[in-house]
Amino acid sequence: MSEEIVGRRSFLKALAAGVSATVGLRLVSRASASESGESSPHRWGMVIDQTKCIGCGYCTLACRATNDVSPNISWNRVIEAGKYAGEPVYLPRPCMHCEHAPCVEVCPVQATYHRPDGIVMMDYDRCIGCRYCEIACPYGARAFNWEAFEGPNPEVPRWGEPEVERRPRGVVEKCTFCYQRIDRGLELGLEPGKDSQATPACVVACPTKARVFGDLNNPESGASQLLERYPAYRLREDLGTGPRVYYLPTRNEEVAG
Amino acid sequence: MRAWGRVVKLNRFHVWVTVLAAVVLAGAVAGIVVFTRGLVVTNLTDLVPWGLWITIDLSAIAMSAGAFLLCAAVYLLDLKRYQPIARTATFIGLIGYSMAVLTLLLDIGRPDRFWHPMVFWNPHSVLWEITMCVTLYLTVLALESAPILGSAAWFEDRWPRVAATLQRIHHYAPYLAIAGLGLSLLHQSSLGAAYGVLKARPIWYRPDLSVLFIVSAMAGGPALTVLASMLAGRLSTRVYINDALLEKVSGFIGWVLMAYLYLRFWDMLSMTYTYSPGRTEGLRLLTQGPLSFNFWVGEIILGILVPMVVLLRPSLRRVPVLRMIALLMIIGGVAAYRWDTNLAGQLIVLTYLPQEIVARYTDYVPSLIETLAGAGVIAYGFLAFTLGARYLNVVDHQVQAEAHGLPQLATSAAD
Repeated sequence: MSEEIVGRRSFLKALAAGVSATVGLRLVSRASASESGESSPHRWGMVIDQTKCIGCGYCTLACRATNDVSPNISWNRVIEAGKYAGEPVYLPRPCMHCEHAPCVEVCPVQATYHRPDGIVMMDYDRCIGCRYCEIACPYGARAFNWEAFEGPNPEVPRWGEPEVERRPRGVVEKCTFCYQRIDRGLELGLEPGKDSQATPACVVACPTKARVFGDLNNPESGASQLLERYPAYRLREDLGTGPRVYYLPTRNEEVAG
Repeated sequence: MRAWGRVVKLNRFHVWVTVLAAVVLAGAVAGIVVFTRGLVVTNLTDLVPWGLWITIDLSAIAMSAGAFLLCAAVYLLDLKRYQPIARTATFIGLIGYSMAVLTLLLDIGRPDRFWHPMVFWNPHSVLWEITMCVTLYLTVLALESAPILGSAAWFEDRWPRVAATLQRIHHYAPYLAIAGLGLSLLHQSSLGAAYGVLKARPIWYRPDLSVLFIVSAMAGGPALTVLASMLAGRLSTRVYINDALLEKVSGFIGWVLMAYLYLRFWDMLSMTYTYSPGRTEGLRLLTQGPLSFNFWVGEIILGILVPMVVLLRPSLRRVPVLRMIALLMIIGGVAAYRWDTNLAGQLIVLTYLPQEIVARYTDYVPSLIETLAGAGVIAYGFLAFTLGARYLNVVDHQVQAEAHGLPQLATSAAD
């Protein structure tokens, strides 16, 4: 009997030690990760001028070509959002890169996370494909790879090739603000939003310059300037997600520039 | 006469097992199709990414709640005479959670990465917490069930030392019961919270869902345990049950149903006031729309009201057939609640355009492959319980109390 009690005690001790060691290690590693996590001077954002958008959908195509997105998926959709003075009004919808992103909160494996510069990123090697982020996103910005995307991408022109790897079947994907263009541009000393090589493909491709990209931390950036001059709104602000994509509602006057 | 009866029973058992095995096989084939071709073979979409499999997953976990409740009653509240029922419930729990794991493996896009939540933690995510709890609790259930295997006569004969080791785990039953209680209270509620925390889905976004999920599980879990015990006692000559004990548990389930009905009444009533985009449409979907039959008949009338009356009135619940029908209705009602909750939030698609928020409707019907794979998982559960009842004595209200040195049953049921 006494043997059993000793056995039980040592079992519980070992269990407690094991659990606390695991938790402790995890917490330590998390803490060090957040300490060493570099901060960024930038906070990328996008301003979309609905007066200028003509609904041509070039942004969607440029996005597909640059990011090798399947024809079944749109990281960036252009939606007809009613009429103004008899003319249709369009609303292009990339990922909002929310400051308080519901997808980041719910992902069980941190496969979607915030970069220090505010971009909501996807780690396609970590995603388990549970699709909870899709359920949580109020903007329908996320798409699941229900099947493998094989063969040539019809949107990729013969003279170029996509800048990022194609996603495998079974993971969720979404707009990344073309982080690869931003990162490479910054390395080359370019300014995202100003220099086309360092700017998201949708912004570069827009024939009416309806999209302006830039650093919201920099008051001189094109995006900050527009937000200073015009009243802007964001989608579903009532949800408190803090989107980093702003919209300038349709106006009568023509915007200079 | 007796020999003839045995032959007939044997045949019936074989037919039952063969049918279940065939469905499991069909499910396995469907599963292979899912793994090779991907989730494109389902009718799930980016608008409705969670469907039949999530419902089976949630229901299997809810129906497993008998394990933590009865283990807590026996080992923490010292209600020792329920020990044999706790044993059955534990085994059902082990089956239920393994069903949930199987369904999840089907459902996630990258089943090869099932272990990621163990390594890449997001403690902020309700789903992460659920995954951790389910994994840990599955371990607890395996440990709690180990003595069942260890005390099976054929196992003891073949591997006496292993059997002795497995039986020794029973000494830790009180600690396992504490762990099981904690883990279950956490994730049974969090399964509701997984829906309840999403602000983007107004019909879900409320704290009540976590409470409703655990309370409904506290009715559905023991209901399945009692029903399975009664069925086993009826269909097999080898199974001995103490009906008085099962009747007591059924009375308890009746009271849980009353609490569940009370909570649901106020939960629903509070949502009917003032128009709220998405929530009002969701409510309409449930009470008047395509889910209304499920809701009124499946969840409320047959799922709560009728069985509540049957189980709370001793004269009614003493009639075994009535009690079994009532228990079956509860199980159906709890599963219907999971199905309806899951869909009500997804079939309503809210606009994010700057004008007034508009709710649009979408729909979802599971595909053949989804249905077959789901049926396979359920048949696996039935099969595992059938084999357990036959070869592991998981339903046995007489032998166990002696085997574990617990006091003999005071009432020896009349034969």
